[in-house]
Amino acid sequence: MSQQLGDAKLSLLANRMRERKPPTLSMAPMIDCVFLLLIFFMVSTTFSPIPGLRVQLPPPGKPSPDKPKGLTVRIANPEAGEEQGTMVLNDVVVQVEEMFNQFINAPDESKNMLIIQSERDVLHEQIVQVMDIAKQAGIDKIGFAIVARD
Amino acid sequence: MALNMARRKKTGDDDDIPMAPMIDCVFLLLIFFMVSAVMKVPPPFTVTLPDSATQHEFTRKKFNLFINSDGRISIDDQEMLTLEDMELFIAAHENQISTLIIKADKRAKHGVVIDVVERAKMRSSKTEGLEIAFAVSEED
Repeated sequence: MSQQLGDAKLSLLANRMRERKPPTLSMAPMIDCVFLLLIFFMVSTTFSPIPGLRVQLPPPGKPSPDKPKGLTVRIANPEAGEEQGTMVLNDVVVQVEEMFNQFINAPDESKNMLIIQSERDVLHEQIVQVMDIAKQAGIDKIGFAIVARD
Repeated sequence: MALNMARRKKTGDDDDIPMAPMIDCVFLLLIFFMVSAVMKVPPPFTVTLPDSATQHEFTRKKFNLFINSDGRISIDDQEMLTLEDMELFIAAHENQISTLIIKADKRAKHGVVIDVVERAKMRSSKTEGLEIAFAVSEED
């Protein structure tokens, strides 16, 4: 009798176990999150490169005492109320407009490098303008003269 | 006909769009964008870049140096109060900076820009020195 009862109980338990479905993960909320993150990263990523002008500098260390070969542009501080400082290319005062021709017509051996000697209050815009003209004229190396610190 | 419709309705669960491949794709895209994302970090002040006809292209990376017209300096959104701070910051992140892009305002004084360039260059332990570029305006 008790044996029969036990068997019945067992078969009931087995039945119940067979009926139980395997647990499932609900995917929908996860997909929602993933889509949200995907859209955020897609929108905030910028692939556009930064346009700029490369500055060639000598390796760090003692500046070379030799007189550098190449063109030298000296730019003075702008006068009060003026935007641009006076520019002197190899001891001759030049205007921005004629600078391109001056660079083009310079002797070939001095065309490999341009050194900009500028006073401290010259605006960055003017420096970039000179660099731009030099690059257009085919001068790739542009350096800046600095005062040696002790 | 009606029987057919009913049967289709009953078995509708089975011809759902398969989700697994879509989720795989979405995850792949997500990981790609997460890895390649470089956030645009605005500086704490406004900077108007100078214009230039010739320009080189540099990949957008972290650690851009900004200089405004008053001579304030910041690296990304972190303002550098002294040149020494800037020097230490660059030294600390040196291996992450291949090209130092200087975004200087067009009305910034050349003296400040050169101070920054020189400090950054001196700090670099690389033998060939740190590569430096001046950013220019993106409009043509």
